[in-house]
Amino acid sequence: MIKKIGLFIFGIAFAYSFFANDRTYKYEVIAEDLSHPWGVAVINRDNILFTELSGQLRLIENGVLKPEPIKGVPEVLFAGQGGLSGIILDPSFEENRKIYLAFSSPDSGQKTNTLEVISAKLSSNSLDEITSLFKASPSRRTAAHYGARMAFLDDGTLLITSGDGFNYREQAQYLDNHFGKIIRINTDGTIPSDNPFVSNNDALPEIWSYGHRNLQGIVVVDGIVYENEHGPMGGDELNIAQASKNYGWPAITYGKDYSGATISPFTKKDGMEQPIKYWVPSIAPSGMTFYEGKMFPEWRGSLFISALVPGDVRRIEVDKDKVKKEEILFDDVGRIRDIVSSPDGSLILATDGPNGKLIRVVNK
Amino acid sequence: MTINIVNLIVSILIATCLVILQETMSNMFWLISVDMPVSISNFISTYFANILAMNFSGAIPLVALVAVAFLIAFLVAKILLNWLDVPKTYAYGVAGALAILSLVLLMPLAFYNLDILAGGRSVLGKSILTAFGLISGIYFGRTLEKRII
Repeated sequence: MIKKIGLFIFGIAFAYSFFANDRTYKYEVIAEDLSHPWGVAVINRDNILFTELSGQLRLIENGVLKPEPIKGVPEVLFAGQGGLSGIILDPSFEENRKIYLAFSSPDSGQKTNTLEVISAKLSSNSLDEITSLFKASPSRRTAAHYGARMAFLDDGTLLITSGDGFNYREQAQYLDNHFGKIIRINTDGTIPSDNPFVSNNDALPEIWSYGHRNLQGIVVVDGIVYENEHGPMGGDELNIAQASKNYGWPAITYGKDYSGATISPFTKKDGMEQPIKYWVPSIAPSGMTFYEGKMFPEWRGSLFISALVPGDVRRIEVDKDKVKKEEILFDDVGRIRDIVSSPDGSLILATDGPNGKLIRVVNK
Repeated sequence: MTINIVNLIVSILIATCLVILQETMSNMFWLISVDMPVSISNFISTYFANILAMNFSGAIPLVALVAVAFLIAFLVAKILLNWLDVPKTYAYGVAGALAILSLVLLMPLAFYNLDILAGGRSVLGKSILTAFGLISGIYFGRTLEKRII
């Protein structure tokens, strides 16, 4: 009898291990020993730009990490969650070599800092023609919740996520500041004339949507803007962002404060948008990409959201404003700071921390 | 000795409950200011939920933080009272106020200037919390003075 039970347990364990390893992908380390890799921009399969939070812009050229960082990056405040963060290529990068960087910018001679976005032309190993496009106002004393991700709308305007600065959360509900907002600007830094609040004298004209917390991922798919944001303790959200809409933070939330306190007993209110998905407990969503590659046909049409806690990627099947399915992937590489799609259909992960890696996910 | 410990625990609990009251008030008053439909029952249920959550499911149990701050402050007050001729009520009142004020001022230094107690972000919030520390300290000091009489 005992022998039969032993054989049965062995059989179950064998079957589990067989199927658990039956995955369709494998990892290839592209670069390692990186200093807090944060944002990744793919030029083509073998040429990849990425930021390190500590202030370096790095280039993988022909599949090999260049040892020297790209010169000309402005000074950043590397503290807390601050540093060199978001990166995106211009839609016409092949012609103009233009990139956009988002970072925490120290105020000269002050103890304050702010989110800044610049454009620059990428030369062989330096940035030229650096232009400051946006500086969040007012500055903050904290080094947290910058947002600092970017995406292009189909009309060529640039969306910038601007976090609530942690200590300034209530400001997300007011339109006279940039805390907790999505910003929309032209690529020369001017303000589009059709921004939703340009005719409101009490509002800053760059604001596109508001009531956000710490937006860490934004992608545009067929004109639909998906953004994810960190909630406090619980209440991470995936939203469809739209011009002029209020996403409710901190008046409505599914999360609690880190102290355990209730920030708001409300989760819904007329005039405030609901997430299409939220997570309690938190997964700490970071980057986000939309997968259209051919390498993994079963994943086409999915959003991929990297997560820091406990460290995995959420594959989300969406049908416009409906989440149909969530699958947990890549949960064995640690905290993942960013995820991007490569033109060859592979996915590239940036793992978080002082010894971060860039990892390519390819089919077996 | 036993009575002193009980009184110390009671003063810590008073301070903890008052700090949580201030945290609840600051959140609720702001919600009211943006036309959220906060009712009395919302307020009361949130307060009691906060008492549990801030001590048992927050990042750091508030009562433990208050206890450490009060123990240090009251110990210093007790030592100083050997040389200072001031009523214990005042001495422990000031110690309680400084304990809470230190907590509110020092905690952000450990978290990149982030105020974990949201109710302590403003000058008004810090002042109210300090006053609550004063009240809790005065309670402790008065219980000591009553025992002497």
